[in-house]
Amino acid sequence: MISFAWLIPLFPLLSFLVLILSGKKLKTVSGYLASLLTGISFIFTLGVIADLRSVTEYEATWTWLTIGTTDIQAGVWLNPLNGLMLFIVSFVSLLVHIYSLGYMGENDRRATYFAYLGLFTFAMLGLVMSPNLIQFYMFWELVGLGSFLLIGFYLYKESAKRAARKAFIMTRIGDAGLLVGLILIFWQTGSLSFTEIFQAVEQNEFAPGMVTLTAILLFIGAVGKSGQFPLHTWLPDAMEGPTPVSALIHAATMVAAGVYLVAAAYPLFLASEWALMIVAVIGAFTAIFAATIGLVQDDLKRVLAYSTVSQLGYMMLALGAGGYVAGMFHLTTHAFFKALLFLAAGSVILALRKQNIKEIAGEGRHLAITKWGFLAGTLAISGFPLLSGSFSKEAIFAALLEDGQYGLLGVALLTAFLTSVYMFRLYFMVFHGKGADKPPKSVPVSMKIPVIILAALAVISGFFATGFADWLAAEQEYAVLHHSPTWLIFLATLLSLGGIVFAYFIYVRKQMDREEWKTTFSSTYTILYHKYFIDEFYQNTIIYSTRAISYLMYYTERYVVETIAAFAAGMVKEIGKTGSRLQNGRVQTYGTVALLGLAVIVLIFVVRGGYF
Amino acid sequence: MDLETLLSFKWSIMAPEFTILITGVIVSLQDLFYGNKRLSSWLSILGVLLAIAFLSTQYQHESVSILYDTYIFDEVTFFFKIILLTGTLLILLMTSPSWDEETERVRGDFHYLLLAALLGGMIVVSSGDVITLYAGLELLSISSYIMVGIRKYNRNANEGAMKYIITGSLASAVTLFGLSYIYGLTGTTNLFDISREMSAIDTQLEPLAILGFVITFVGLTFKISTVPFHMWTPDVYQGASTPVAAFLSVVSKAAGFILIARMLIIAFTAEPGLEQGTVYEYGVGLIAVLAALTMIVGNTVALRQRNMKRLFAYSSIAHAGYLLIPLAALTSFSLETIWFYLLAYMLMNIGAFAVLHVLIQNHANEDMSIFSGLYHRSPVLTVMMTIFLASLAGIPGTAGFIGKFNIFLGALSADPARYVLAGIMVATTVISYVYYFNILVQMYSRPAEKHANLQVPAITWVTVGFCTLGTVLFGIFPNLPLQFFNW
Repeated sequence: MISFAWLIPLFPLLSFLVLILSGKKLKTVSGYLASLLTGISFIFTLGVIADLRSVTEYEATWTWLTIGTTDIQAGVWLNPLNGLMLFIVSFVSLLVHIYSLGYMGENDRRATYFAYLGLFTFAMLGLVMSPNLIQFYMFWELVGLGSFLLIGFYLYKESAKRAARKAFIMTRIGDAGLLVGLILIFWQTGSLSFTEIFQAVEQNEFAPGMVTLTAILLFIGAVGKSGQFPLHTWLPDAMEGPTPVSALIHAATMVAAGVYLVAAAYPLFLASEWALMIVAVIGAFTAIFAATIGLVQDDLKRVLAYSTVSQLGYMMLALGAGGYVAGMFHLTTHAFFKALLFLAAGSVILALRKQNIKEIAGEGRHLAITKWGFLAGTLAISGFPLLSGSFSKEAIFAALLEDGQYGLLGVALLTAFLTSVYMFRLYFMVFHGKGADKPPKSVPVSMKIPVIILAALAVISGFFATGFADWLAAEQEYAVLHHSPTWLIFLATLLSLGGIVFAYFIYVRKQMDREEWKTTFSSTYTILYHKYFIDEFYQNTIIYSTRAISYLMYYTERYVVETIAAFAAGMVKEIGKTGSRLQNGRVQTYGTVALLGLAVIVLIFVVRGGYF
Repeated sequence: MDLETLLSFKWSIMAPEFTILITGVIVSLQDLFYGNKRLSSWLSILGVLLAIAFLSTQYQHESVSILYDTYIFDEVTFFFKIILLTGTLLILLMTSPSWDEETERVRGDFHYLLLAALLGGMIVVSSGDVITLYAGLELLSISSYIMVGIRKYNRNANEGAMKYIITGSLASAVTLFGLSYIYGLTGTTNLFDISREMSAIDTQLEPLAILGFVITFVGLTFKISTVPFHMWTPDVYQGASTPVAAFLSVVSKAAGFILIARMLIIAFTAEPGLEQGTVYEYGVGLIAVLAALTMIVGNTVALRQRNMKRLFAYSSIAHAGYLLIPLAALTSFSLETIWFYLLAYMLMNIGAFAVLHVLIQNHANEDMSIFSGLYHRSPVLTVMMTIFLASLAGIPGTAGFIGKFNIFLGALSADPARYVLAGIMVATTVISYVYYFNILVQMYSRPAEKHANLQVPAITWVTVGFCTLGTVLFGIFPNLPLQFFNW
């Protein structure tokens, strides 16, 4: 089976090609076709995983590009880590396809929608199977393209267009870092293949400082894709896309690609204390930073988006503190419960046609399955004992303790408390209250099944922690699962429950007026509500300064150069009045610039004593 | 030169040039006596195809030099001629003659001018001597001046042609001035002899050698539209009809690049050079600075353009800046890098110009708004345009990405490595996303205007389809052309 692994990404690609080329004719069956093809991919994935238990590593490549004397390969690389990612991607993608059958319902452009989903799934599957950084990078960009198309799916909405554009440009900043990083790696090691890079790291082939630099550059790519501070602002805006897309791309797969990149290149990071430290600090900061913003957002999906940013911060924090298994395990459980939360939220939005939690005010309580599913997800993410989130978070805390990062451990614990506060605030405001009594529009079965499956996984997947660690440890010796001392488990549980109780008293019992603190701490509220003014900061600095440079260049060309040229222009006019009437005077400018340029060059040449 | 020597040359190696020359003559006679533009168009296409066929028989032919080293054939000339011929063919296929006639009220015919310009470019590529090289360059330039001004009732065209000819003459003068220094120092016009003389030059004359090199180089920047001879580009593109602008931005520029590359590599990198290095090593700092300035100016000013031809003019300036990097960072695969980039650039830029041509002809307008709602009017054309733009912006999966990637690797693996240039390239590439992206936004998210039916001549689809295919194919399998190049 494993030798057919290259087929896995091709089924979604086929789905994309068929639907984009003949989508109009296949409109009614488009969803079923796409789901079927993704299902086949999923079955293949299961087969490959079964084989991976005995093979542990498999690589098949062919020469793709020859530069000078260097060959760059393309192909398929399988090991426990990307086997895991294959599973998550194909599984969540399949569920999202099924869910979308109901969610996109009678949408006129649903063939296009499923085509884009296919493209995205193809790119994501190709990404996790890449044996080298260049192939990885190409799929990475393709993933970005898929995400861009899906965020901007509702073309007629101005905000969706803006969000898609923002996501595209913001992640591209990270991508530039990744590109520079991979080229530096190539320069240092003469290869882009993961295995050869790791060998080079082992044999100290890097110039001093280069390991740290390249690791940080790769991490910049991960920061962009995984919505880490300071490149996180695109992720909440990306919620303009259809909700199943948010579940697939902005919860379970694409945003996890950044975390996967750090995990896949882990030996490189392990070789540099500094790089690990930066990963951990950025992760911790993002975790608590996004959690505080999540406390005051009023849009159902935006709260989930900030929660995603915060949880991704957790994963980075774990990886930065040497908790390889903890980070990947949290990625897995998070994929389940966050996809669950988004899909449940999608049901709420579809049924109630609103997504401001103040307007919903408890109306969601009529949707039984959605309510229980959302509760399971909320409990899991809050780290409620024995649910999946509690296991993966404990693994992260244990890794931090083991690494001696007490400060970061404190931040992580505080974030855990905040997480249960904002998540239960969300839960209580959507599903508890005295909103309208009318039974809302019903939710189709195809949307209920994925919610039920994911809810089950969100509850039980935590128990597989040990097996999970063994699975990853088959290939990498740094894959160790850390175990927490009892006091830490106790503390974590206390914080999680404390947050729930806290939220209960504010939002259900109304013991504290939730509006009151907005006036008493008005400045804090304003800062949080405006997400620390990060967007405004970018608007006022980077965007304006780029614009200023462009204006500067434009006006330099137009006016400054022209003023200098005025003199020459006058002379030329005197010489040939007839010829000059034909033009508006600017061609003289061109000549002046060219000759002036030459004169400056020659002048420098003379000043430098005849040499450059 | 007696008849016997004349006949002893291996004339067959010039078959592609003769084909273009004869076709040009036939087309001009045809135009004079019959004036059938459709026939001109087909004859030109046929001629170029025939020239390509002759050229392809020379694949893996050994190097030949005839007419006392003034005309040389080697693998470099072979590969660059492919770009010139294919580019011209695609431009010929981009336009439908009857269509242009109706809209432009053109009296003369641009086909034989195009062929003459192509011939000039081919001579430039094959020259081993400064004199023939200059003759080829002028043939290319003068034909281009007329092509720009051929729409004589169009005010922009008149203005553009006038500006082009003035700036061009200035550039020619500067080039000749630089060449005169080189001739004065070496006493020869043959590139190989220049190389030999340069390597044994008197130390006291070094500054003069470098000065000659610098002035010649600055003069030649006109053809490739880089700083400081770049300012004509937007006005001339705006004035020229779209196929002519495409020719200037691809074929003419490719000829300019191979000319510069050949002069640099043959004449100025000879070892042992001056006191500490070759002339090239002393002048390379200048090329690096010009490359940086060109990338910055091209990409930032493009941000402010609404007129599509002006936008693509600045974009073409920016691409010329990228292409200077392999020259500022010479490695063993610099030529290969330049060739691949020019190939990719030919495909994506002609493709984009072909789509632009269709829209300009349909709207009689060159504002960015002609792209609005294109997706709803012609999804296939939109998808193809998206591929061209993605490739121009250097998005992976397209030939443009591989081209940029090669340049980037070359800049870092050169000795000394050009970090700053590589950094500027990355930064300006990110800036370029913004303006290419604006076009995408227009195509996909703006509502379509009232012109519901888009008229696309069947022949244009050939160009657009071919360019799409090439852009994607060479983006996914870049080794196909690269292996072909390393025969």
